[in-house]
Amino acid sequence: MSLDPRLQAAPQPPPPPPPPVEPQPAADGVPPAAQPKQDVVPDDVFKLKFCTVCASNQNRSMEAHLQLAAANLPTISFGTGSLVRLPGPTIDRPNVYHFNSTTYRAIHAELAQQNTRLYTANGLLNMLGRNLSIKSYPERFQDWVPGKPRLDHAEDQGAQGTEAGVVDIIVTCEERCFDALLDDLHNKGGKLNRPVHVINVDIKDNHEEALVGGRAIRDLALSLNKAAAEERELHGASGWDKGGGAARAGFDERVPDILAAWQERWPHLPALWSLAWL
Amino acid sequence: MGSSSQALQQLEAARHVALGDGNHYPQILPAVVPIIGASANASLEVQRWGADFLAETFASPTWAPEQKMQQSLKVLSTLKDYIESQDVGIIKSAIQASACIYPLVYRHIISDPNDKQSWQLMTAIKSNILRRMDAALPGVRICCVKFVQQVVLVQTPAASADPRRQDPNDVSLTHVTRDHPLMPYINLEAESSGLLDRLLGMLHSDNSDALLLTATLNALGLLIQRRPAIANKILSSVLSFNPVKSASPPMTAKNKVLLRSLERTTRVLLINVLKRNPEHPLSGRIQQYLERMHRMRLEAFDDSSRKRPAPVEPTDGLDAAKRQRLGATVPNIAPAPPSNTVAVPAPAEAPIPPLPPGPVSFRELYTLNPDASTANFDVQIFQDPNQLIRILIPVLASVDERKLTTATNAVRARFETVRQRAAQAAAQAAIAPAPLAVDDDDEYEPDFEPENAEQVANRIDSAPPDNLPEQPAPSGPIAPYKLPEAPPLTEQEVQKYGDDTIRRAFGMLSSLDETASKTKVQKGGFNRYAASSFDRESWVTIISRLATRTTCGLDDPDEGVKSEYGRMTKKGSFALSDRIRDGLYNYIMYDWKRRLDLAINWLNEEWYNDRLQSSSEVSSLPNGSNSSTSNSGTKGNYHRCCLRLLDGIITYIEGTDKVLIRFMSEIPEIDMEIMRRMKKMAEDPERIDLACMVLQYLCMFRPPVRGICVDVLEEMWRTNDRAKPSARKFLAIWRPQILESEAENKVKEETMNGNGNMEVRPVA
Repeated sequence: MSLDPRLQAAPQPPPPPPPPVEPQPAADGVPPAAQPKQDVVPDDVFKLKFCTVCASNQNRSMEAHLQLAAANLPTISFGTGSLVRLPGPTIDRPNVYHFNSTTYRAIHAELAQQNTRLYTANGLLNMLGRNLSIKSYPERFQDWVPGKPRLDHAEDQGAQGTEAGVVDIIVTCEERCFDALLDDLHNKGGKLNRPVHVINVDIKDNHEEALVGGRAIRDLALSLNKAAAEERELHGASGWDKGGGAARAGFDERVPDILAAWQERWPHLPALWSLAWL
Repeated sequence: MGSSSQALQQLEAARHVALGDGNHYPQILPAVVPIIGASANASLEVQRWGADFLAETFASPTWAPEQKMQQSLKVLSTLKDYIESQDVGIIKSAIQASACIYPLVYRHIISDPNDKQSWQLMTAIKSNILRRMDAALPGVRICCVKFVQQVVLVQTPAASADPRRQDPNDVSLTHVTRDHPLMPYINLEAESSGLLDRLLGMLHSDNSDALLLTATLNALGLLIQRRPAIANKILSSVLSFNPVKSASPPMTAKNKVLLRSLERTTRVLLINVLKRNPEHPLSGRIQQYLERMHRMRLEAFDDSSRKRPAPVEPTDGLDAAKRQRLGATVPNIAPAPPSNTVAVPAPAEAPIPPLPPGPVSFRELYTLNPDASTANFDVQIFQDPNQLIRILIPVLASVDERKLTTATNAVRARFETVRQRAAQAAAQAAIAPAPLAVDDDDEYEPDFEPENAEQVANRIDSAPPDNLPEQPAPSGPIAPYKLPEAPPLTEQEVQKYGDDTIRRAFGMLSSLDETASKTKVQKGGFNRYAASSFDRESWVTIISRLATRTTCGLDDPDEGVKSEYGRMTKKGSFALSDRIRDGLYNYIMYDWKRRLDLAINWLNEEWYNDRLQSSSEVSSLPNGSNSSTSNSGTKGNYHRCCLRLLDGIITYIEGTDKVLIRFMSEIPEIDMEIMRRMKKMAEDPERIDLACMVLQYLCMFRPPVRGICVDVLEEMWRTNDRAKPSARKFLAIWRPQILESEAENKVKEETMNGNGNMEVRPVA
């Protein structure tokens, strides 16, 4: 399948040139360490509250959660599936857990006991280890009551600012989740009367793509937060007259422009957007 | 600023207490309101905090609606001040809070009809918000949309008329008594219906952008769910909403995202309705709408592959790292020197896999660890031998002796196997050359397996028979072979084949009719090439040009003056174009209503060609020839074809077939003879109106033929009694003097009869 038939026909390709010699072990560690300062939002600036959503609240939403929390933005995360599903020993035997009650630690322990080698090789244990450092258990979006205080989640990464249990931006990682989420918001009925921008960023469900997608979501979040902070400042005491053009427009109407600009930077992550109600 | 930040800290502490337990809100709120109120001269920061706090407080699910209702009355004046503020952040939060509070105050007023003051405050807030709804910043307008949703929700009757069966927290118009002094039932109902119209108007207004549209769509879901009385109205409005319409032509990245987002939002709303009630009376229409939108989106984007393209990766096998991850073996990799595999021996506990069947390369022979990462390790990446030595010597030094022995034994055992296999193979089939197991060639040899007798027999069977007499080889150079020339076709044959070709062309045309008419029509405008798109129109253009232009001018110009005999002989060859014309005529008449556009195209081609012909004849007349014969003798084909087609159509036409108007107005030339067909048609009383309509249309929009039209009208008026009233109407506009002279005649007649009253009026 992965063998290109054209290659079999080729008689003798030239010997492969040596790959460029580069300091392999350091390559992964360098970029995050080199550029952390500029994309972290300082504490004294206005901050939007974010929410990341994928199917099982394990891979994509948690990677994004980590990235946003690392950018010092208030973040919570959810899954929209009916159950937490993780790959099992075979494709037809997934590991299934309940939302809201099974902790990442418990899942980690169970999988490690089941088959350490397999789940180390496919990266699950690594992922769960990361997750349990972010928050304690996967949460289901449909069970979330917007506006219910989250003081009991104070230990989670990115919890600061989310105490009131409301968010301004929801980022989903798959169109299916986007649909399920909008549908659920219809069912919830928008009791808070609070507008929320729901943005979908299509990310494939694997570790590499989740990493790329998480960076993209962080980029998006920072752009959005910058615009929102500008709105706060401009409309301040006498600020209205200072701005001009796009900066004068309010935050909400700038979201589509910001998203379009972001989409040009990340053309491989197709985006969707809708203004919904919490 | 110092005092305000201190105040903020205290306020934040109070908020945290309330967040910890919602039951503290009734105590905290009265303490907070004086600090945040506009009357308290609070700073902007404090006011912003206050507006956010009010929105959060009344949205919070942690305390009871009854308590909220009591508290809501105490914050009305603060809210009113906030709404009139200059800061957008404050206004937004205040509107959100108002949207939460409106149902509470509404409920309070239902139970306490005497609290006029609170209701007045609430009404003032409401009218302020409604004023902003059309003109404010979009960010504020969306909050207004949500507020309006709440107003419509509480001022519309609930699903069940029985108050006992209702959710006590779902306040609705059903709770309002008919004789409420502050809130007259009728007024509430009228207001909510008006506001709903405004809300739905958002969907169809040009003034709405995607932000407002999605905000409105997402707000409508609740109303459809909870208020069946207005659900159908909302749904029909949504179903007539066209998300694609709002996309302005340049398909920028932004527009694409917005378009897809709008479509998605609408779809989710409708699917939510379907899910809640699969037997919804409108479910059929909803399904249709969803399918149509899906198609429209596909057309708008025309990208069947919305998924990301496969990542660009080298397909030439150079990217060995990538291949390893895909789990494929890199073919033709240079065989690694044995030292490599010895340096990386298999772990003792891992079983050593047996050799694969078939020929074995050195590499396979020595590869004890099937793990791809070590097996595909290419020593040649070390270009500098010194570097290699630096690595290799310590590695060799550290090799575990036990492992090395195991590995050597394994290789030795393998070597034995290979030798045995080779011996077996040699013994089994002596004909096949003994495979060299130690051959340094790792190309796969599929023919290695010795053939059995059956296979050999099969091969012999399929070999060419060798008992054929041998062909004598030609001697000398070979002359080029020429096909014998076909005998010349007779005229009948020419005609027959020509007919066949024409028939086939029309057969193709009718098959195109069924399939191609539904595909996307691309309008090329004037700059397109005719007949370049291979659809029905193109073929008709081709066919009509074949009919009009191909043989045109090949006729003998003096044809008309030749003898009968000469004409007879020529007729066969040039009748082809007439046969095509017959074909076209039949094709059009077969379904004339739908193919009338093709008829117009055809006639235009005919007319154009006639003009070309006449102009070229005028310019290139041979000296001395008589121009009158060729010009007057043939009136061209247009006139003839047009009359024929018109006569054909008129036989079938009905009084309601307005398509005739189009036909008459679009054919390129009209003369008296064509026009008279209208008069003829008007002899059928049912088609008088149609004839008059045609004439009127031509009079109005085709001034050059107005004279002929009015002439025909006049003839109709004079000769056709039934058509008289209609004709009179138009004559009164275009040629009133006729009517006048008629009136004079009538007066004369009346005076001659001397008895005007007994006169039988011409108008029946």
